[in-house]
Amino acid sequence: MTDLSPQLLLYIVTAGGLFGIGLYGFIVGPQTLRRILALNIIGAGIFMLMVVLAYRGLADDASLPSTDPVLHALILTGLVVAVSATAFALALLARLNQAKAAQCSQDQLRHKQGPGQ
Amino acid sequence: MSPFWQQYLPLAIILSSLLPGLIIFTLKETQVKLRISLNLFGVGVKLLLVLLMWQAVKAGQQFYFSLPFLPGADLVLQGEALSLLFVVLSSVLWLATTIYAIGYLEQSPLRSRFFGYFSLCVSATVGLALAGNLVTFLLFYELLTLATFPLVVHRGTPESLAAGRRYLAYTLSGGVILMLGVALLHSLVQSPLFTPGGYVAAAISGNEGLLMLAFALMITGLGVKAALLPLHGWLPQAMVAPAPVSALLHAVAVVKAGAFGIIRLVYDVFGVESMQALQLAQPLMLLAAVTILYGSWRALAQQDIKRRLAYSTISQVSYITLGVAMLGPLAAVGGLVHLVHQGVMKITLFFCAGNFAETLGIHKIRELNGAGRRMPVTAMAFTLGALGMIGIPPTAGFISKWYLGLGVAEVGQNWLILVFALSGLLNAAYFLPVVYRMWFLPQTVPWPAEQRLSNRFETHWMLLLPATFTAILLLLMGLFASTELSPLSWAQLIVEREFRHD
Amino acid sequence: MMVVLLVLPLLSALFMLLWPRIAPLLALLTASVCSLVALQLLLLVSQQGSQQVLLAGWPSGLAISLEANSLSSLLILLTALLQLLVGLYAFATHRRDKLGAGFWPLSGMLQLGLTALWLSRDLFNLYVCLELLGIVAVALVSLSGDKAIKPALNYLLLSLFGSLCYLLGVAILYGAYGVLDITVLASQWQADLLSSTALLLMTLGLMLKAALWPLHGWLPAAHAAAPAPVSALLSALVVKGPLFILCLLWLQLAGATQVAAVAPWFAGCGLAALLLGGVSALRTPFAKNMVAYSTVAQLGYAMLALGLLLRFNQPLFAAALWLFVLAHALAKATCFLAVGEITATLGGKRISTLKGASQTMPLAMFAFAVAGGSLIGLPPSGGFLAKWALLQGLWLQGGQLFWLLVIVLATLLSAAYVFRAVVLAFNRADPVAPDFAPRILPQWLALLPALAVWAMALYSEPLLQLLKQEGL
Repeated sequence: MTDLSPQLLLYIVTAGGLFGIGLYGFIVGPQTLRRILALNIIGAGIFMLMVVLAYRGLADDASLPSTDPVLHALILTGLVVAVSATAFALALLARLNQAKAAQCSQDQLRHKQGPGQ
Repeated sequence: MSPFWQQYLPLAIILSSLLPGLIIFTLKETQVKLRISLNLFGVGVKLLLVLLMWQAVKAGQQFYFSLPFLPGADLVLQGEALSLLFVVLSSVLWLATTIYAIGYLEQSPLRSRFFGYFSLCVSATVGLALAGNLVTFLLFYELLTLATFPLVVHRGTPESLAAGRRYLAYTLSGGVILMLGVALLHSLVQSPLFTPGGYVAAAISGNEGLLMLAFALMITGLGVKAALLPLHGWLPQAMVAPAPVSALLHAVAVVKAGAFGIIRLVYDVFGVESMQALQLAQPLMLLAAVTILYGSWRALAQQDIKRRLAYSTISQVSYITLGVAMLGPLAAVGGLVHLVHQGVMKITLFFCAGNFAETLGIHKIRELNGAGRRMPVTAMAFTLGALGMIGIPPTAGFISKWYLGLGVAEVGQNWLILVFALSGLLNAAYFLPVVYRMWFLPQTVPWPAEQRLSNRFETHWMLLLPATFTAILLLLMGLFASTELSPLSWAQLIVEREFRHD
Repeated sequence: MMVVLLVLPLLSALFMLLWPRIAPLLALLTASVCSLVALQLLLLVSQQGSQQVLLAGWPSGLAISLEANSLSSLLILLTALLQLLVGLYAFATHRRDKLGAGFWPLSGMLQLGLTALWLSRDLFNLYVCLELLGIVAVALVSLSGDKAIKPALNYLLLSLFGSLCYLLGVAILYGAYGVLDITVLASQWQADLLSSTALLLMTLGLMLKAALWPLHGWLPAAHAAAPAPVSALLSALVVKGPLFILCLLWLQLAGATQVAAVAPWFAGCGLAALLLGGVSALRTPFAKNMVAYSTVAQLGYAMLALGLLLRFNQPLFAAALWLFVLAHALAKATCFLAVGEITATLGGKRISTLKGASQTMPLAMFAFAVAGGSLIGLPPSGGFLAKWALLQGLWLQGGQLFWLLVIVLATLLSAAYVFRAVVLAFNRADPVAPDFAPRILPQWLALLPALAVWAMALYSEPLLQLLKQEGL
């Protein structure tokens, strides 16, 4: 593995930090929405790491024309997957809430009808 | 007979009960005639095929059928003298039990299921008898467990379900332990065909410990079904099954499967020499002797007829194990012939117990007073069976005990004579009072639940006929023991082939 | 041929969205065509060795490469056949069970994801397959309506988390070596701290997705909540995907020291799964949960076999591992279909619903018992073959009495939970009355894989040869 310049190291540490924050949120968070967001933060951390890794090797040899294109392609794929997964999770969450609300209103209805009869 | 036929004969013997069984499952409850004729057809075909094979094996032929299975262990069916002993026993007794079961279950529900599993059970037993190597044996051993379980719980009552659970717990554990042992032996010497004289001798040096472990594991696994001492707990409880099932379980299928497995293990896997080299016979002998005495002792205390018979089975089956473990030719003859004799005697006793229960509602021994006058034929059959169990001439039981006694003298384990004598006394002590009550005590209370099942006979003819048949059979086997057709001469043939190699 | 196997399910899934009315027909057609193609692929591979395809003519390294060895073609065949069977079952019962129209395209996508997974040998492609599989699986679970949303959401979140862990591992490995192809990566592999971290992260994610103990918590709820055909697919196939990748990683990539360090852990997890999963299956009052816990327990066998394979490098364990996977897939499909059919007909979720089922629904109960026999490992079933291979390996290794004892215990536990249901079914005292007349066709469909798993025993020799030489 090539040596990393301090600047790259900083980015990597930041990416790691994002991952850590997300992990914490995912494990601790009681609310589902918070956990979905936490997953996105973890994802952001990983993608940032990948972006940074695409620049490795550039520090000592600046003449290289471009960064590692494979990683960029991977990030794009990853982003697509992450976005669709998030959308799916949010949709499920919305349906869960709807189901809950329906359940609640039914219960209330029954509650109201109960004493009346 | 063409060679093509010969190859498939062992398979055909199994299929002759398996296929009717599978068809019976699909029948409706009301198709009584079709079911009965299918059953009897299967029995008839099987007996015919067995007869064919018997003729050929007597002439020195061997039958061999194999299918690829595990690497190094094909699925082999082999027809030779020892397997035929068990095949003949189970086919003949299957005939008797089938007729009995048809009469016994005449009005009860779910008969299709019952007869289906009944046929499966016999197929598994016959397969076990014909199994040509340990892996095949293991396969049929497990199938037998699965096929008998529905029969044990057939009544579907809480007690029978509890008994079924217990039965499964014992037999499945035994099966797993047997599998462990077979796998160990397979890893050491593969699983070749059963050969007289065994096949482990070549691997003995350096592997003594592992071979002894394998033997112990396999005896434990087989001992569950053979009801050796600490593993017998399921047997008395399994009595809740309908009478034909108990009869089959005790006389042929399950218990005998264990005993037959022990015979195979000792003679055809390990062989006499290896058994002696590894000093495995002594512990087995001791275990069998203790089981004989323990079973008889417990039988003495039982008040329920079927339970007394169950403990008696525990004791009697260990005679076979003991005869095998003595490793002498005469004792081996005794053990092998007892396999047949005990089967016929015990099935007679169970048929009679079922007749008493079905006709008069008698379950306890004290209710039997005067039963001999009401049901003379059944009582006569019971008496013959009981005398055979004690070993009184001229019944079949005498022959096997005589040879076992000779075997003791031959191998010089004189303490075993004491075991036999004591057990004989105990046998007499628990059977003779029953016989005495039937014939000589007057009936004091009315029968618990009398049914008139027939106008001409004392009970339904289908219940009476099998009991009479097996009772006469056991008398004939005793009287004509020296003829060529008797199990004794067949057992001598086997032992001759078994011990000839050395 | 491989491309056909991938494109066909994808196209048919798209067409199903366009014409929902012919969706079942399309799904069944696709599954049967795929089965035939998969069979042909298997024959080709067994004759000519592994086949490789680089998509769209790109050079190796850039292109998406697909590689079919005998193991993966076998798994593809299994996938296609189970899809066909489950599709038939779903078609036979879809009116009664009110299975959503979404089932058909989703099952097509599931087949695509699985097939792609068995064929990929590239860490990132595997990630995409995993993610596809996870999302489709969750969508399938959520088909059974409101009560399934919560377990589905939980499954989705954990599955996403698992994939992200895996992705992080992939990123680290790519950063270190600059390649993603497993064989190339294996040739440059260094067993250092960085690669260990990456491997651990990936393992964690995969274990979470494969529901390997102790990360199995989501599985019983999700599998029990799903409709019967879906549970059958999930238990039989989906959990095996991540397991496959796990085996790829540890058998092909990891260095000797790493393997030695992790092998006892895998075996230990397998042991815990076998025992604790078995106990949970024995104690749960719900029928489908019992089958689901049994999946957790049975995956323990695969884990145990993997651990032992890594430790002793004995080809018999590789055979045992994949035999377990195959036998479990078939047996579990039957279990879920049969239990689903019984609970639907008799109306109830508890195990006590099975009371008297041997009378009311003999065929389904028979199917369950036969599949249960394979789960226990009774001869001559596929489960027995696997156990036999495991026992042979252990005895040949010598001195492994502890593991033998574990296997005995696990076998007895599985016998206990299978027969707990079977004994109930034989209870004739007060059988549960069916809500409507039991239907014959679905019961026969449930029986088919059980018969197949017992027939496996007859083909054991070629199967063992094939799996042993492959061993990944």
